[in-house]
Amino acid sequence: MSSILYILSETLETLVARNLRAVPSLEQPAAQFKRLYHKGAPPVLRGGYPGDLEDNWAYVYIQRDSLFFVSVVGNDADAVETLHYLEQFYLLLRNYFDVKVLDKNLVLDNTVLVMELLDESIDFGFVQVTDAGLIRDYIRVKINLPELHTTQDPGSIQLEDDLYGSESDEERKKAEKRRRKQLQERQPARTTKQELGHLRKKVMQTWKGKGSGKKHAGVSQNSDNDGEGDDEDDDTFMNSDIAKTTVMAVSWRAKGIHYAKNEFFLDVIERVEYAMDYPSQTVRKNVIHGEIVCKSFLSGMPELRASINKILHQDKQFLASCKFHQCVDLANVAEGKEITFIPPDGDFVLCTYDLKRHVRDQPVIKMSRFEIKAKPAKHKLKMYVTIEPHFKPTNATSKLNVRIPLGRLFREYRIDLRRPLRFKCDSGKVLFNVSDDFLLWEVGAIKGGHGETQVEMAVEFSLFDQEAYDREQEELRNSMNPPPLVTGPRIEEIHKQVHEGDESKELKPEPLRIDFEIPYSTLSGTNVEYLKISEPQLQYQSFPWVRSRTVNADEYLYSL
Amino acid sequence: MSDQRIFARYRANEIRAELQNGEMKKVKSGVTKKKNALRKIIANLTLGNYSEMLQLFPEVMRFWPIEDDIEVKRVCHEYIRTLGSIKPRSIIEALPFILRDLESRNERIQIMALSTLVSVPFNKFTDEAFDFIIKLAGKRTTSGNLLKNAIYSLVQLDDYDHERVMSLTSTLSEIVDHHLENPTIQIAALNALYQIHDRDAKAPPYHISVDTAFNLLELLPTLNEWDTSTLLEVLPITVVPQSHDDVYDMIDMILPHLQHVNSAVSLNALKMILYLLNYIDEVNETIIKRLSNSVVALLEKPAELQFLVLRNVILLLLSREQSLLKLDVPYFFIEYNDPIYIKDTKLECLYLLSNEETLPQILDELEEHATDIDIQMSRKAVRAIGNLAVKLGEKSAQKCVDILLHLLEFGVDYVIQEIISVFRNILRKYPTDFKRDIRTLVRYAEYAQETESRNAMIWIITQYSDILPDYLELFETFSQNVLNEAPEVQFSLLTSCVKFFVRSPSPATEKLCVQLLKECTEEAGNPDLRSRAYMYWRLLSVARENTNMVTPDMLKDIVDGELPIIELNTKLDPAVLEELELNIGSITSIYLKPTSQIFRMNTVKHLPRSRILDTDKGMLRVIPDSSSNENVSSSSKGRVSTSKKNGVHRAPTMSDFDKPAETVYKLKGERKSSSNSPSKLARKPSMLMRKLTLKKKF
Repeated sequence: MSSILYILSETLETLVARNLRAVPSLEQPAAQFKRLYHKGAPPVLRGGYPGDLEDNWAYVYIQRDSLFFVSVVGNDADAVETLHYLEQFYLLLRNYFDVKVLDKNLVLDNTVLVMELLDESIDFGFVQVTDAGLIRDYIRVKINLPELHTTQDPGSIQLEDDLYGSESDEERKKAEKRRRKQLQERQPARTTKQELGHLRKKVMQTWKGKGSGKKHAGVSQNSDNDGEGDDEDDDTFMNSDIAKTTVMAVSWRAKGIHYAKNEFFLDVIERVEYAMDYPSQTVRKNVIHGEIVCKSFLSGMPELRASINKILHQDKQFLASCKFHQCVDLANVAEGKEITFIPPDGDFVLCTYDLKRHVRDQPVIKMSRFEIKAKPAKHKLKMYVTIEPHFKPTNATSKLNVRIPLGRLFREYRIDLRRPLRFKCDSGKVLFNVSDDFLLWEVGAIKGGHGETQVEMAVEFSLFDQEAYDREQEELRNSMNPPPLVTGPRIEEIHKQVHEGDESKELKPEPLRIDFEIPYSTLSGTNVEYLKISEPQLQYQSFPWVRSRTVNADEYLYSL
Repeated sequence: MSDQRIFARYRANEIRAELQNGEMKKVKSGVTKKKNALRKIIANLTLGNYSEMLQLFPEVMRFWPIEDDIEVKRVCHEYIRTLGSIKPRSIIEALPFILRDLESRNERIQIMALSTLVSVPFNKFTDEAFDFIIKLAGKRTTSGNLLKNAIYSLVQLDDYDHERVMSLTSTLSEIVDHHLENPTIQIAALNALYQIHDRDAKAPPYHISVDTAFNLLELLPTLNEWDTSTLLEVLPITVVPQSHDDVYDMIDMILPHLQHVNSAVSLNALKMILYLLNYIDEVNETIIKRLSNSVVALLEKPAELQFLVLRNVILLLLSREQSLLKLDVPYFFIEYNDPIYIKDTKLECLYLLSNEETLPQILDELEEHATDIDIQMSRKAVRAIGNLAVKLGEKSAQKCVDILLHLLEFGVDYVIQEIISVFRNILRKYPTDFKRDIRTLVRYAEYAQETESRNAMIWIITQYSDILPDYLELFETFSQNVLNEAPEVQFSLLTSCVKFFVRSPSPATEKLCVQLLKECTEEAGNPDLRSRAYMYWRLLSVARENTNMVTPDMLKDIVDGELPIIELNTKLDPAVLEELELNIGSITSIYLKPTSQIFRMNTVKHLPRSRILDTDKGMLRVIPDSSSNENVSSSSKGRVSTSKKNGVHRAPTMSDFDKPAETVYKLKGERKSSSNSPSKLARKPSMLMRKLTLKKKF
């Protein structure tokens, strides 16, 4: 049970403080935390502040992005609950601001919103609700994003889609656009049915909002999105059904949701984490992080039944590690039957699981050869990279990028960038990033297999040749000919500019990373056998869509 | 946007001017201006600029009644709350406004007003809050959110006026027992009651009847995640099971929640099950497996949570006489990017998990870490190997020592120093087993530079002087410079030289001894060292002069007595363990110490007595899965929590196994039907209920 909640900046300055239990001072605990904290301190710190004789406080904190989320708790507090809440609150903020990384300014600009979110998610230190989907219906304060973000609005939508699948699935995108529109229209549509009184007030306010928007187009902050966001401006209005939701039996879904077309999207996404030390050929990590992500656009209170083959077959590893969303009836899981659930509206993660793979199991994309051959006599250096796919031959990658670091190569050899690099590869193309020193090999689509097919790439660098250089300089000085004309950018100069002062920086060995995506298959074979949607009252036609894909996790690398 | 400047210290009259400015213009931009000014007030309150902001009180009061905007209201309430908790008396004039908001028709404003009232520690506010809550309790038709908020505000009010809150507890109990259409409120009331009782050191701990507990547990599928977590947190101790059947039923209802995505829920479920296990004498192996699985799954969470899980669950469970978890060693292998606190805890876990079987695996891993670049880590790894040697038997110790000797060749100074330090402990445990390795170790004597390793080296040389022919030369490399050594090293040098002399009185040892004693008495600045040197000196002179008083044997006994063999104690005291298990997930269990040692004010939790309480923890028997087939059916039967009416898996020793099963089922059916309320999710009647109804027809 938290007594005070703080959001602190990187330097431990208070950004937001919320007094939950009428503690006499907000400053002293923060100051005490500053005293207790040191880098690498465990997430629970104990110690009262001077003046408080009882010594009964502890500080539970997490550090996310550049912010600290600190909760001051009493001695009897449930530390796990507090930690989990802080984590959820961080995700809630991120979800609300629609950003991947929170920072100080974002919090400072939206203090009132953060306060409101705090108020809504925790009462007197008792956690109430942390589901962004639900809170979004309550709190409609406009988010004060910096200009940069608003101009990049299409970009942020792109990010949202990324979660769902970056491959171009035209039909689905169109469907989503339609959904989004419907979502906006949904609110007013529902009110006509339910609350006439509210509606009148709303219409008036909408009218007022529009009028003022036109008058003060230059001054008003909201004028730019007046057209589409008029119901969002009106923060006193709210669907009364939603207010009741949190205290209802099915607390994650509001009543009275309506869609014209009822669709349910389910994606099984497996992220493969793999780390190998290439010189010693030891595998450090070989894990699958699975996730079942859903998007629900269903009316009423539908009951869904899905059957996951791993549960059906009582796969031990899967059952041991799987964690379900609160809507899933957990009793059925243990029984090895289909799972039943009433889904929340919009996006949610139905299930997460982790599966360990054997060290000797081949990685999805295996790098079978990495070699640097220097030929000092010819002043040439050749680098070879070979990869081989290890997945079902009927599938193919939709994206496959290999990022080869060159930092060490540049340090160990004197590469002469005045002479062009030469590439050769069996598939795709190779790009050279001058500023960050890496080669990006965009392999593109390759078919699966089990080691029979190999894709190779070779690069040739020129080594610096002192003799030839001296001869050239001599020639330049003595001959009457002008120096040869250089068309295009001078890579060596750009490289030099970018890397000025690099020596002082700490040099970390960079690994070779592989990014890939294989649609329509999961590495572990996890599969949703069927998905049934039934809504006893409305009896509508519905469209369940099930997909799966395998992608790389953040860590899919070979240390060289 | 331009709102960056909101977050800066302002003077009161600056903001005042801005507020007035906003009022002058009657147009919409004025509203935004005013809102901005109000936001600045909040920002300044966060910055702790209280006295300046207090001056703005009249302005804020003026805004309150005229503005209907919820954001302005929120700012006003926030203003009162922050200042109210610091200077309650200065804001008394705001009371009528708050009361008016309390009567508002908008539920959110009502909630806001109530929490403002409660968060000001001043009796006028508190009185109003009580009046409102009593009025609210009287009404039958109140909205859920407001009622829930009122219930929780009682916990806060308890800080101010315990007596009055106690008078309301009967209402709360009534809600817990009968308020069936709204589970969240029931849980809120339960939690409030629990907190109120918990605070009060004099009152007996809060208890609910087994029937109520079952009613509450039946709500589990309909509760949201945080309520589930709360319920499972409150139930241990609060409910005292009276029969083994109750316990098995409860465990079956809770088991599925081990798999909840919310770690608070799964850990509290774990806690509840562990509590219940105290009340039965046998447990099925599947339960142990599922407990272990849920713990392992929790280890995949972010580092902070992982730390808590490692710390409190695993250390606790492993330190039981008979472990309740079956965990594989590799889960605790250290990853290079783990934060330091996790690395430490994992090492501890590995230590606790170690036994004859797992030792090779653990040693391989530790050896790798011992050659790590991270100095801290490699030291800890070496230390852990040493501890393992002391903990496990001679056979395992041999393996550990082999690895340590192998690491010696590695030749890095801090590793060698650490090895010397741990070798002393190993020799204390097995004084004779590793005599032949001492020669190798002594070769690295010059590496010992730190206090601890120097100390250890001196001790080793002294103790095994009989097998080291050149012990005096070795010793002299240490003793040359006594006066510049750390105090601990000085003491051991002194003791050692006396030991040498007593063991083999020869001119060489005598010279060494006299020289050291002289230096320590005449030149040393440390009074402790001086007086110890004097003590030895007098002891030796008494022994020489008057042989009757101190015989050489006596002298040997005093100076060079037999050392007791050391033991590493890893088990916690059972009483402490019991208390810690009831506190799983809380702050205290992180430190693995009894609550009273960490927090002075806390009440100590005990397992409540019941006739079925298993007082001897070691007695819990684990029934192995005899046939997997039977297990599936039994566990599935037990876990149909949606239709829990059918028979629950029973251990063969249950008290009533000779009675006809039908009666048992019937009782269950009745209990369940009593809580079937229309607002709950419509669920299919269970197979058993169907069977029962069929039977009646026949």
